[in-house]
Parts: sequence; C-alpha cells; structure tokens
Amino acid sequence: MQIYLPIAEVSVNVALLLGLGGGVGFLSGLFGVGGGFLMTPLLIFIGIPPAVAVATEANQVVAASVSGALAHWRRRNVDVKMGLVLLAGGFVGSSLGVWLFTLLRGIGQIDFVISVSYVVFLGIIGVLMVVESVRAWQRQRNPAAPRKRLHQHYWVHGLPLKMRFRTSKLYISALLPFSIGLFVGVLAAIMGVGGGFVMVPAMIYLLGMPTSIVVGTSLFQIVFVTANVTLLQAINNQTVDIVLALFLLIGGVIGAQIGARVSGRLRGEQLRILLGLIVLAVCVRVAWGLVATPEDMFALGVPGGRE
Amino acid sequence: MRTARRSVLLLSAALFALAASPARPAEKLLVDLSDDEIAITTGFTGTELLLFGTKEQRGDVVVVLRGPDRDAVVRRRERVAGVWVNGASVIFRGVPAYYRVASSRPLEDIAPPEILSANGITAGTLDLAGTTDVPAARRVSFQDGLIRNKTRQGLYGYEPRGVAIRGERLFRTTATFPANVPTGPYRVSVYLFDRGRLAAQRESTLVVRKVGLGADIFAFAHRQGALYGVIAIVVAVFAGWLAGVVFRR
Repeated sequence: MQIYLPIAEVSVNVALLLGLGGGVGFLSGLFGVGGGFLMTPLLIFIGIPPAVAVATEANQVVAASVSGALAHWRRRNVDVKMGLVLLAGGFVGSSLGVWLFTLLRGIGQIDFVISVSYVVFLGIIGVLMVVESVRAWQRQRNPAAPRKRLHQHYWVHGLPLKMRFRTSKLYISALLPFSIGLFVGVLAAIMGVGGGFVMVPAMIYLLGMPTSIVVGTSLFQIVFVTANVTLLQAINNQTVDIVLALFLLIGGVIGAQIGARVSGRLRGEQLRILLGLIVLAVCVRVAWGLVATPEDMFALGVPGGRE
Repeated sequence: MRTARRSVLLLSAALFALAASPARPAEKLLVDLSDDEIAITTGFTGTELLLFGTKEQRGDVVVVLRGPDRDAVVRRRERVAGVWVNGASVIFRGVPAYYRVASSRPLEDIAPPEILSANGITAGTLDLAGTTDVPAARRVSFQDGLIRNKTRQGLYGYEPRGVAIRGERLFRTTATFPANVPTGPYRVSVYLFDRGRLAAQRESTLVVRKVGLGADIFAFAHRQGALYGVIAIVVAVFAGWLAGVVFRR
C-alpha cells in the first residue's frame, strides 16, 4: 500500500516505512542507541527530501527517547542539574543549528552539509566501535593484556564558573557540559539525531560522570533538545512530516522492544562489531553519493529554499 | 483502470450527444477531459487523464498541457576536492511546473516553427529566454538542465505521436501525472492544424489540488507552524510514554 506523505510530498510504501522503523528500532533496542543516525540517511536513500528527513527524524527521536528517559527517571538515574546545564547548551546549539539549516537551505547547500556531517560522524563512530569492540573481545580472550588508561583532562579543571553536581559527584566548570550540550544541539538540528552517540562518550571521558547515570541524563537532555528542533523546524522550514513520523514510530516502538529482548541472549562484543560494520556501510553509501559523478550535471531547487 | 473505463463511458456519451444533436451547426473542434480535477489524496500515486474530442475537418491535432507558473532555480553540480557540490545557479521566473505536448504527427511535419511558437507551442521544449536576465550563452545549458530534470521527474514531456486519430473525426490522448504533480490550475490547449495553418483552437482548464487529511495537514503546517510543531511534539511524547507503559511488563 502506498501513502502520499503530506509534507515530504512523495508517495512511499507503508510496509517499507514500518519495516524501516522496525529495523532501526530493533537495532536501537539491541544496542541501546538512538537510531536517528541510521534512520535519517535511510530515509534519504528511499527518496524523502533530506530537509524533511532530518526534521521528521528529530520528531521521532522525541518519542523514542521519552520512554527511555522516563524509565531512567524512575530509577533515579538522571543528574537533573547536569541535565539542565547540558540542556541550556542544547537549546542554544539547536536554535543555532536550525538557523544555520535554514540559511544553508536557502543557498542550496543543505543536502551537501547533511551528507558531509554523516560521512564524518558515521565514519568516526563506526571505526571507533569496531576497533573498541575488537580490542575488548581480544581482552576477554586474553585477560593478561594491559588495559589502556583513560585520558585525564587536567586543563579542564582550570575553567571558571565551577559548579557542584552532587548526583555525578563532580565539581567542574559549568562551561564544559554547556559546550558539550551546545555542540550536540547543533548536530541534532543539522543531522536529525539525538546525539547520544557523541554525548555519552563525552560525558564519560570529558566530564568523568559515573556511567550509571550517563544514559539517563543524556536521554533527559535529548527529549528537550529534539523537541526544540522539531518546533523550530516546523516554524522556520515546515519540514516536519507528522504522518511519516507516526509510521516510523509504530515500527520503531515494536522493533525496539523485540531488540531489547533479543539483546539479553547475544554476546555483547560481537554485536558491537556488527553495529560498527552497519554504521560503516551506511557511511560508505552516503560518501558514494558525494563522490560519484551525478547522472545530471544540473539539479533543481526552489528559490528561497521552499522545497 | 477505473479512470480509463469511466473515460470510455464518457467518450461514448459525448459521441452519442454529438450524433443526437444534428440541429446545431457542427463545431470544427470539440474537446473533453475524463476529469477536470485531479485530487491528491492520501493514496495518490499519480494518475492518467484521457483527453478526447472530435474534429470536423481533416488535419493534425496538437494538445498542450501547461501547469501553474513557478520560479525555478537550476544549480550546476561542480567538483570541489573530489566531492560534488551545488555550484553556480540560475533562477528562472515563472516557468511552468508541468508542460506536456502531444501531437498526432511530429510537430515539424505539422506546421512551420514560427506558426507553432506564435501559438505558444515550442516544439516540445520550452524557450525560457524571457524568464531570466542571464545572457543566452550561459542560459542555454541551465535551461537544458531544467528541462532534463523536469522530464526525468515526468513533469515535462513531448510525445510526437501521442495523439491518436481514429478515422477522420475522432482523436484521443492520454496524459500522465506523476505522484509529485504540482498543484494549481492547468491550462489545456487543443489546436487543429490544416496544411500548416491553424484551423481551430479550444481552451480548457484542469485543477490539481490536494484533498482530504493530507491537504489539511499541509495547510496547517504552513499556516500555523508553531502550533503544528507543538502538536508534533505532544504526539511524540504521548507515543513514547504509551510505549513505555504498554511494554513495561
């Protein structure tokens, strides 16, 4: 069955949308990741205009992270103070990001910037995932191998505006989480992702937060930042397709539950290698779109960016 | 195809009406469409429209369908550091969003180009000289790019034998509209040429519009962006919460 998406203005197969939502939802349940960074490029591959894919995916990430954030909230795994500082940065960053998005769309460069952002981030994350998982796997098989020490960021402690974060047991400059939030906010706006894949490692390695509260705090922040992106995209670009978001949601919710159940029965490290390879495959596909000679040397756009 | 079958019925009805009214003086050219409105509904995947008519005398038929005028920007793809980016661009003002020419014989066999263009028929391709300030030497490649892209999207087309003539008097043609058909008023012009000269002409209109829930969502998103955004967020939060509740056990 085909459905005509009112905002994207294209006709797509309903089963394909449910399947995409379900597939990416399955992976996100399996690996505990948001899935936005896979969904947005896949939507572009099936012919959804990139601007619509990004804005709609931000809307879907709101839904995907609400249930996770609530679950962590109940278990008190959220550092609210830290979350609010990240959020302050996130609001500034995502507003800046949507402004930049609108500007780039007007001059016809948004598709290019989206693709490049994806190649860079998927490439980095994919490689890190594979390398890290292969190492961890080898460590398991050979426990005697020495463990690499984590980075110690001493310069960080010299920054002003120090704040006490009781839940995280940290006394650090508020500028640090603010900047992380800001950076992730820009990514959220331009790439249509929650940004957990950047924020979680940043919180662990840069801030030194206890891992038990990292995911809950990150989800808490993602809900509000992606909501802000959804609102600003709806106001500035009219690119949020509520019908598309709903179909992805239905598939995503079911897929995520199945994935979460299956993940308990599978080996962690091999699974991470697999996810890393999937991420790299998507990265290569996006990169190919940038370097392959286009079938036509001329492309159409609409003046003023209303595409 | 339901549309096609209904069109055949309409066609026979029209012919019957024609045959049954001998009192009226015969029109040189009569035209009808299987539908005067294309409704983009939630299940819309593109459609076909049948145009049919009768002509009183011998001659060639040319049918031109022209969609609403829109501004179009054409960007040249340029290679920068091994990567393809959008480079120089040209804006064309008031270019038809849809343009299709169908004729019973190739246009060059029907009439001389100056007669055709005087009637707004530009040999299957559009001349966009009047829609931009860019000098001709530079314009042409961008204009060709525009027409090529539009043709690939199924929005522009030229069918040199797209009009079928049955016997001496009946003719028919089918126009296809892809799923991405632009909305707005369309002009349908039918020309009868006899030995290179215009013998008769008929104008008709057609409207393409969105209807139903999809149309309401589109209008709402564009008129009340902020409220639409809030609703999108509320729906997402509710769905996320619901999923959490349902699957908690």
